[in-house]
Amino acid sequence: MAEKQKLLEIKNLKQYFNVGKPNEVRAVDNVSFDIYKGEVMGLVGESGCGKSTTGRTIIRLYNATGGEVLYDGVNVHGKKSKRQLKDFNRKMQMIFQDPYASLNPRLKIADVIAEGIDIHGLAKSKQERMERVYELLETVGLNKEHANRYPHEFSGGQRQRIGIARALAVQPEFIIADEPISALDVSIQAQVVNLMKQLQKEKQLTYLFIAHDLSMVKYISDRIGVMYFGKMVELAPADELYKNPLHPYTQSLLSAIPSPDPISERTRKRRNYDPASHHYEDNEPIEFREVTPGHFVLCSEKEYKLYQAQSR
Amino acid sequence: MEKILEVKDLNISFHTFSGEVKAIRGISFDLFKGETLAIVGESGSGKSVTTKAIMRLLPEHNSEIKGGEILFDGKDLTKLHDKQMQKIRGHDISMIFQDPMTSLNPTMKIGNQIMEPLIKHQNMSKHAAKERAIELLKLVGIPKPEIRVNQYPHQFSGGMRQRVVIAIALACNPKILIADEPTTALDVTIQAQILELMKDLQKKIDTSIIFITHDLGVVANVADRVAVMYGGKIVEIGTADEIFYNPQHPYTWGLISSMPDMDTDDEELYSIPGTPPDLLDPPKGDAFAPRNPYVMKIDLEQEPPFFKVSDTHYAATWLLHPDAPKVEPPEAVKRRQNQYVGTKGGK
Ligand SMILES: Nc1ncnc2c1ncn2[C@@H]1O[C@H](COP(=O)(O)OP(=O)(O)O)[C@@H](O)[C@H]1O
Ligand SMILES: Nc1ncnc2c1ncn2[C@@H]1O[C@H](COP(=O)(O)OP(=O)(O)O)[C@@H](O)[C@H]1O
Ligand SMILES: [Mg+2]
Ligand SMILES: [Mg+2]
Repeated sequence: MAEKQKLLEIKNLKQYFNVGKPNEVRAVDNVSFDIYKGEVMGLVGESGCGKSTTGRTIIRLYNATGGEVLYDGVNVHGKKSKRQLKDFNRKMQMIFQDPYASLNPRLKIADVIAEGIDIHGLAKSKQERMERVYELLETVGLNKEHANRYPHEFSGGQRQRIGIARALAVQPEFIIADEPISALDVSIQAQVVNLMKQLQKEKQLTYLFIAHDLSMVKYISDRIGVMYFGKMVELAPADELYKNPLHPYTQSLLSAIPSPDPISERTRKRRNYDPASHHYEDNEPIEFREVTPGHFVLCSEKEYKLYQAQSR
Repeated sequence: MEKILEVKDLNISFHTFSGEVKAIRGISFDLFKGETLAIVGESGSGKSVTTKAIMRLLPEHNSEIKGGEILFDGKDLTKLHDKQMQKIRGHDISMIFQDPMTSLNPTMKIGNQIMEPLIKHQNMSKHAAKERAIELLKLVGIPKPEIRVNQYPHQFSGGMRQRVVIAIALACNPKILIADEPTTALDVTIQAQILELMKDLQKKIDTSIIFITHDLGVVANVADRVAVMYGGKIVEIGTADEIFYNPQHPYTWGLISSMPDMDTDDEELYSIPGTPPDLLDPPKGDAFAPRNPYVMKIDLEQEPPFFKVSDTHYAATWLLHPDAPKVEPPEAVKRRQNQYVGTKGGK
């Protein structure tokens, strides 16, 4: 990991909504992590914990309340020329959870996919544009004939493939996939995950892969971060997180996943997470600490020692 | 066991721009009193259409029940007048959808929404209905029900809304509760709570549940029996143990193999190759044949009948024909078969 190149550095990122009002929400609250070139960084946690806001702030859909995001060393939120902005918008793409809501129902699939090609002037002729569309359809496991159809004629899994094709159309480097499989069947989820993984390898893409549960994300992620109420509570290489979850919230998330095994389901015990169980003292510094190389946990000094002892 | 609902050779089509979509192609199953029957299958396999047919919620303008019967309480639901059906819906048979907001009115207080079926179906007074609404909110685990009853849906979280929908669905102690992916949109921890709640309530009021989901983990958690649907048909049906530890249909094998396994380090996730059949023009033989790694010539020519595996377990695959060659199921399935402890025994 050490010699890997950082593509993104997220430093003390804060995104507050309704600042100063009674309904202030600290959607992202002092979150720091790096994303390396060519890796898949998974981001999990329950709805409302701030995953989408993290993604949206990184991609500059929101202005950060605090902290910074560096992309290839350049501050994403800094001042930029129109040209730089456009370039930046091309390099970072987003894939959304609801493939239907994110596709314009009145556009033919060809035009949905070619939208970015048109904006960025990536095709010199109509013919080249269509050739690109056909190529993209094939890349995501659809075919030429689909180009003239409308979004409603496709299944959820196919629509997500279209969403992927649209994102790929502008040849991005970094893709934020915000729960791209949450709305799909398990068997289709597997197809989409495998497709995304394959494309990532072929095109040397970097992903931030957001998911609300831990079962599928394991297969695609190199590292996984767990968020809880705007904070990142644990970050570790994927296998490590499953084998040795340290934060009690991560443990509760893992224990809630039902397994396809009726016998074990009859006896499975869920662990509930109670934030009060930490028994932190007032003013006790709670920090993101590296327990073992690459395995970070938000914890107190006391917990840190305990986690280290557990991980030996 | 007492049969509470009987679906017999149901056929449903949609008339669309592109032609006739043969969404349900001859399905039959029974629902017994107090049991949970899970229906699983990929999207488009016909799970929702089946249950909407039971509830008579199919769009009138383009759907057609081409044949078959849905027997409930001595009546064929497919033949009832709208008026008669209205008496059954929400009273004898209730439904919960994936998105709680499809069942909730955003401009109406939660309490009034729970009271509505009570006043309509059970002739309760307003006062009594309100008392009952508070009781129901408490039953589904909503804190401070006396206050919550006067609030609007937007003041509830997703999980809490689904609890409210369950309260409405259970208001009249229905004989059948149909839950169409009720937890799919929820977080795993909330899902776990809702599943516990449903099982708990089922014991209390002895409802039969049809539980639709595509998540085999959820199925393993809730189901007594499981029906596996593919391309508008049931391809395998059996007890939960039979389906999970001794599955017979190659499609069920595929489904089980594509579940992520938290305990292995596998890099690649198995996925069933190809796409579901085009129901505008369903294939002649076994609809799964084009995606079936175990495909035989006959699969392409003739539809397989149901073969009996046990008194409770049936599968529609030619692999069960006495003349079929013996095949090795995928690894994930073999592992499960070794685990199989069912007393009803495999073959
Ligand atoms: N535009 C917004 N205005 C106000 N609050 C918001 C906005 N977007 C998100 N939030 C709040 O921020 C928190 C995090 O939301 P989100 O990032 O969408 O969570 P997740 O993606 O993990 O479900 C939630 O409490 C949500 O209600
Ligand atoms: N209103 C409709 N008009 C046309 N086709 C429909 C309609 N509703 C469902 N279908 C088709 O019927 C089939 C079964 O759908 P459905 O029961 O919703 O599947 P699922 O198993 O995902 O619940 C699909 O091919 C679907 O496209
Ligand atoms: Mg989100
Ligand atoms: Mg459905």
